[in-house]
Order: sequence, then structure tokens, then C-alpha cells
Amino acid sequence: MTNVLTIEQLSYKHNLKTILENVDLTLETGKIVGLLGENGAGKTTLMRLITGSAKGSGTITVCGDRAVAHQKSNVSFTEQLKGFRANTKIDRIVDFYRAVYPDFNGQRFEELVTFLQIDTSLRLGALSKGMKEKVVIALTLARQTHLYLLDEPFSGIDSMSRKRIISSIIKWKPDDATMIISDHYVSEIAPILDEIVVVKDHTIYTHRQSDEIREEFGLGIEAYYESLYEGGVNHD
Amino acid sequence: MKFDDKVPIYYQIKNYLYHEMMTGTLGPGDKLPAVRQLAVDLTVNVNTVQRALGEMITEGTIESQRGKGNFVTMDTNRITQLKEQLVIEQLERVYNELHALNLTDEQILTSLQTYIERRGQQHD
Repeated sequence: MTNVLTIEQLSYKHNLKTILENVDLTLETGKIVGLLGENGAGKTTLMRLITGSAKGSGTITVCGDRAVAHQKSNVSFTEQLKGFRANTKIDRIVDFYRAVYPDFNGQRFEELVTFLQIDTSLRLGALSKGMKEKVVIALTLARQTHLYLLDEPFSGIDSMSRKRIISSIIKWKPDDATMIISDHYVSEIAPILDEIVVVKDHTIYTHRQSDEIREEFGLGIEAYYESLYEGGVNHD
Repeated sequence: MKFDDKVPIYYQIKNYLYHEMMTGTLGPGDKLPAVRQLAVDLTVNVNTVQRALGEMITEGTIESQRGKGNFVTMDTNRITQLKEQLVIEQLERVYNELHALNLTDEQILTSLQTYIERRGQQHD
């Protein structure tokens, strides 16, 4: 099994405040990984470092390459569409993606649009939270690359949209690609996670396989995750 | 399908498929859905489905045919064996629970018999 991501001794400070310190993390190809941690723990920062949008000390290797340009082409991350104005139509955003990313696959995007029931003639400002998140998912998964990052795709989303989004992840994540999904509420995505990575105390506190947690502790992923904040796992 | 998050998912997928085989939804020689389709249907990870199927192939309850997919075994002995194994697993669970309540073997037998009789009456 090859590694899609290797992070060594990564540290990141913002305004003299330590956000992440001595982060070591290796992810294999073909996995779905839950990135867990409290609000403000540094999950989004870690994602931005992986894409090369933020720069810290230490090394990040994506698909065996350290250059930032390669990081960007090997990672698909749509950061909440912040760069677009509210009156931009979805179609225009799609045109932008098509122009900027050579790996953007129009046919995949159309399939995702149909499955997620997205109306691409709408303007960004007119979208509900759930619909906006669906657009983010469709844009992210329409690229054909090795590493996909989804930053809290389920926060404030109704359960029907959530189910659709989860199904689209299972359907469209390529077998040879890895996906990192961050969340602070894990139970609804727990069944689709191969492994979890917990960001706590400015570093990777835990990195384990989900079924190993269930087997070893007899605990659900949510309960295990919560136990990390209550001082250790109870063996009973 | 709803999963119990405390139990390994691959194990629950196996049990789900066993159940389909026991109830006849999946008969001997029937083709299983494709791996990704199973993953979508059950809302689980493709890798976890692979692991469950891999174990079932090893234990001989399903057979993999290169390029064609996975099929329920035609070996009816193997299916009978599986049924026995599933029954024993359930009995073991009940037996252990009742033993933990300090029931003797004899009491367990009597309670089970009474229970079945009462249930039978309810259903009439």
C-alpha cells in the first residue's frame, strides 16, 4: 500500500500563537479518514497546510512530491466558495473550475449535479446551507485526483441532504484516492470511516482504524472520541 | 441498514449477508451486488465491504469468480454448517446471559420451554 500523504514535524504559528506543533501523519492510498477535534483545534488549518494555502515549518509530501504546485494539483479542496461573490451563478463557478483545474471532469460533475439535485442556474447567495454544501461536494469530487479534503461538510445540514452527501462520497471517491473529512460530530459518518485522526493539544493526538477501536474497546467511534477528552478509555 | 457503532462494521456486514442467505433472499449460486453497490446500499466504506467479502471467501460461504463477481456458494453442506454456526452463536449469547443470572442448566431449559409454549399461545 502506498502513501498519499506524509507530514513530518509540521508546526504552524499564527500571530505568535501555536496552532499546530510537531505534527507527524502518514495516510495510505484509498482510505476515508475522519479528521476530528474541537472547534478551533486546528483541523481547517491542517487542511490548508496540506493544500499549500498556508505555510508552516516541517515537510508535507503529497504523492511523493514536496513542491507546493504539486500539492495543489494532487489535492482537491473547496474552501466554502469564499472567493466568489454572492451574485455569482453556479454555472460561472463551474466554468472557473473547468478553466483552472485540468483534472476537472465535466461528466462526473454532471452526474453529481443530478444525484445531489443541484440547480446550477442559481446564484451563490440564493443557496441554502445544505445546497451550498452540495455544490462544494460536487465541485470537489468532480476533480480526479489523489487526495480529497472536505471541511465539516455536515454542519447545519438536514438529514436528507446528509444522506445524499454520504452516498455521493461512497459512489464517487475513486478507489485509489484518499479522502479526509473533518467534523466535530462523528456518529453519522462513523460507518464510512476507515480510520480517525484526532487533533488535540496542537498535534495529532490519536490515529487509529475505526474497526480496531470497536474491536479493542467495544466502543462506538463517537464514544471513543469523547473518552479522549474525559481522561482515558474505560476498560470494562 | 442501521449499524451498531460499537461492533466492527465488517462483522455486521457479514451478519447482514448471512441473514440474506438464511432467509433465501440470496440463494445458493446467486450473484452478490457489486462491492461499491453494496457499500452504497449499506452506507459503509468500500474497503470494509471488501474485508467482509474477503473473509467470507476464505471461509467458503461465498465464491469469487474472476471478472464476474461474487456468488453464494453452491455447497449446501457449507450453508447448513453456517446455519448451525449462527444458531450456536445466538444460543451461546442467551445461555451466557441466563447463566449470569445464576440459573442452572435445568432452569434454563425449563424457562426456555415455558417461554416457547407461551409465545406459541400468543400467536394462535
